[in-house]
Amino acid sequence: MSGSNATAVDPKSGATANPAAANRSSAVPPLGPERPVAWPKRSVKTLANGLQVVLAEVPTFPKITAQLFFRSGNALVARTTPGLADMTATVVRTGTASRPSRQIEEDLRRMGGDLGTSAGADSSAISIAGLSEFSGGLLELVADLARHASFPAEEFERERRQKIEGLRIERTTPGFLANERFRRVLFGEHPYAVISPTEEQLASYQREQLEGFYRQNYSPANALLIVVGDFASEAMVAQIERIFGEWKSSTSEPPKSPAPPRNVGRKVHLVHLPGSVQTQLVVGNLGITRRDSDWMRLVIANSIYGGAFHSRLVMNIREQKGYTYSPRSGIQSMRQQGFFNVHAAVRNDVAAASLTEIFYEMDRMRSLPVSDEELESARSYLTGVFSLGVATQDGVLGQLSTIYLDRLPEDHLETYRARIHALTAADIILAARKYFDSANSQIVVVGDKAQIGEQVALFGEVTEYDAHGNKQ
Amino acid sequence: MKNLHIPVEHTTLANGLRVVVSPDRSAPVVTVGVYYQIGFRLEPFGRSGFAHLFEHMMFQGSAHAGKMEHIRLINSSGGMLNGTTNYDITNYFESVPSNALARVLWLEADRMRALKVDDENLRNQRDVVKEEVRVNVMNQPYGGFPWLDLPPVAFRNWPNAHNFYGDFADLDAATLADVQHFFHTYYAPNNAVLLMVGDLDPAESFALAKRYFEDIPTHPLPPVADVSEPPQTEERRGAVPEKFGPLPAIAIGYTFPPRDNPDWYAAAILDRALHGGRVGRIYRRLVLEKEIAVETDGGADIIETNGPTQMVTRIFHTPEDHSDTVIAAFDEVIREIQEQGITEDELAPVKVKLRADFYSNLEGGMGAHMPRFGLMHYLACFTLFDGDPNRINTVLDGFQAVTAAQVQAVAKKYLVSKNRAVLVRQPVAKAAA
Repeated sequence: MSGSNATAVDPKSGATANPAAANRSSAVPPLGPERPVAWPKRSVKTLANGLQVVLAEVPTFPKITAQLFFRSGNALVARTTPGLADMTATVVRTGTASRPSRQIEEDLRRMGGDLGTSAGADSSAISIAGLSEFSGGLLELVADLARHASFPAEEFERERRQKIEGLRIERTTPGFLANERFRRVLFGEHPYAVISPTEEQLASYQREQLEGFYRQNYSPANALLIVVGDFASEAMVAQIERIFGEWKSSTSEPPKSPAPPRNVGRKVHLVHLPGSVQTQLVVGNLGITRRDSDWMRLVIANSIYGGAFHSRLVMNIREQKGYTYSPRSGIQSMRQQGFFNVHAAVRNDVAAASLTEIFYEMDRMRSLPVSDEELESARSYLTGVFSLGVATQDGVLGQLSTIYLDRLPEDHLETYRARIHALTAADIILAARKYFDSANSQIVVVGDKAQIGEQVALFGEVTEYDAHGNKQ
Repeated sequence: MKNLHIPVEHTTLANGLRVVVSPDRSAPVVTVGVYYQIGFRLEPFGRSGFAHLFEHMMFQGSAHAGKMEHIRLINSSGGMLNGTTNYDITNYFESVPSNALARVLWLEADRMRALKVDDENLRNQRDVVKEEVRVNVMNQPYGGFPWLDLPPVAFRNWPNAHNFYGDFADLDAATLADVQHFFHTYYAPNNAVLLMVGDLDPAESFALAKRYFEDIPTHPLPPVADVSEPPQTEERRGAVPEKFGPLPAIAIGYTFPPRDNPDWYAAAILDRALHGGRVGRIYRRLVLEKEIAVETDGGADIIETNGPTQMVTRIFHTPEDHSDTVIAAFDEVIREIQEQGITEDELAPVKVKLRADFYSNLEGGMGAHMPRFGLMHYLACFTLFDGDPNRINTVLDGFQAVTAAQVQAVAKKYLVSKNRAVLVRQPVAKAAA
């Protein structure tokens, strides 16, 4: 699998050389000593009403970014009312008891604010960012939305119409269709199987159902507030006590989820999109969550396989063969379950050839240990990218939300780099053997069956669907 | 009001390479970029898509770092990298832990000095680029709408009006000799700026820049291309079929004043009053009040361009309404701001929001792993287009000084039909699925 390197340069050869003596144009300069990350000052506190509060001072720009999470999302309602958490979050921003929609938007602009409300599988969130000089007003708006959303009837109707139109567009997007089918196949009866409601379901929802979800789940005992930015923590805690302290809790017990299916044997799920000039591929298996003791092993195995630009899969099917622009593999961790997947949009005539390489690279990871050089390179990549990811307010907020939503150890960030450095080639092959389960991978292809049907049938029994999810 | 001062130091090397640094030692990372003053506006006549294809070739090997080595060395140093092709610039950038700064500079200098690519590399990247165009344009609903659709309608001068991603026939026609010729024409130190922002010491950074870049020879640059547009005398209209999406879509573009024009600041404020999310006048009227549109968005990239630039509004609406009805509702919004102007109560918050957005852009701007990409990007644009990286610290003052009367004046002057282009993207009739 060697490339066409005109001059092979070993980065480690530079590490031992004296940089001053090195020929400045032909030798790769060595890395300097790794600099420590200066962790932002962090405070964690739980208010009397159960609201968990996490603060981090990152004063580089005069702004704050904050997110109020509720530990309930679309999975909670997937069996009865798919997407209800998402619809609820969407309408939450359109009015409160004291602020009509237009007032909310004007208040935001006055404070330099951006507001987002959304729901994923396991959580719902109200996000806000704006100038730090308005931090009190911004957080008061978040509290108002969390406590006094009024679900105005006409806002609800309009947002629903927009969602339906948005869904119609998504149904023409290969990436959406591929992910939708992949999750169905992987999760079966488990709530994670559903990534979107149908048009009919959306049309049937009543605003009272949204209010019901809101009353039950938008509650301080079910919530986590993270604020990152330019402030002094003591003053910010006092401000949060004042704004959120009076909020009362209601509690709800999450229902139990059925187990996802164990998919045995490689199978092909073809979504027919007539006239498609490209084939969207998604290949993968069920995986694990971040709380699993194998997680870090899987992280490094994935980064060598297809998780980075310099990974084996990208070098193979993009840089050597030119089949695709942006192939990548990923590992996702949700609260109850995770998954591994590979996705690539490939030229129609190389759909089979691309699958062959995807599986070849998976099997190679399972068969042979990675070289010392590849191991060292992957460790540096992961620790470096980790440092980049905590260098902005948004990045810090993202990392903190992972820790506190997934209930990881409090020192997760501080120990991350050391845990990466401790990983070995044996860890990688162990993870690849367990989780890159090529013999039982599920293959989703979205494309024109006249062009790719025969090619993909080489990889297993084919089940065909239309763009609306109907089996053909 | 808390004002931010960005530390900026700059110098010019003997070979004409400009070097700009901005230290910020709060995190042990540095973002580095090399910006060349060549974009898709200036690609060779008749060779649509060449500048972007060329950008891909810059990752395919240089004198001492062969194919895959750029990517491998950056990733294995703990960094991320990318490049983009824009109207007037092409950029190459990396974010890395700061202990890799010298290595990044060495790599960028190596490919500024000499590109070492072969026919196999060119074939490979031509295939990759075609898949990029398919995934982003040809196989997506509203692909390329309207950044590829509108310029051919709006403009008459080929540099502004052609397909920037490239026709496949033009991509196929590109040769290795074209690649080397383009490199020797535009990829000169005296046509570029090197930027470093983050965990660095300015004096050390300048020394490193000198060490790696200063002996790269200067090239004579071609005469500045003429990207000016002939005067427009009437509204221009075009139509493009929408192959996948179910909703008709409209793009309306008004050509904006150039960056050295005194109207530039007021035009930016006008743009923010009209667009600017849910609170902007266009969204509020068309989506919220009249419910004639499903979605609207838009704006003008005024900091990042150095030639004819439009403020573009995108409107998605249901097939029940004719596009002329929707455009009439849009025109009403334009007429109101021309006739009644804006009040202080609207102007003040627009300025606050602009300041907040400016700070957000400085900090991020290119995903989670390119800290301060936006700061670097703006510094590059202010250096290449205005000759003054310190404009990063004064540009906000210009926006803050705009008056309501100036906003109304630019609305009357620029939002006129003989200064606009309209593109309609109409869904094609679907056969029953």
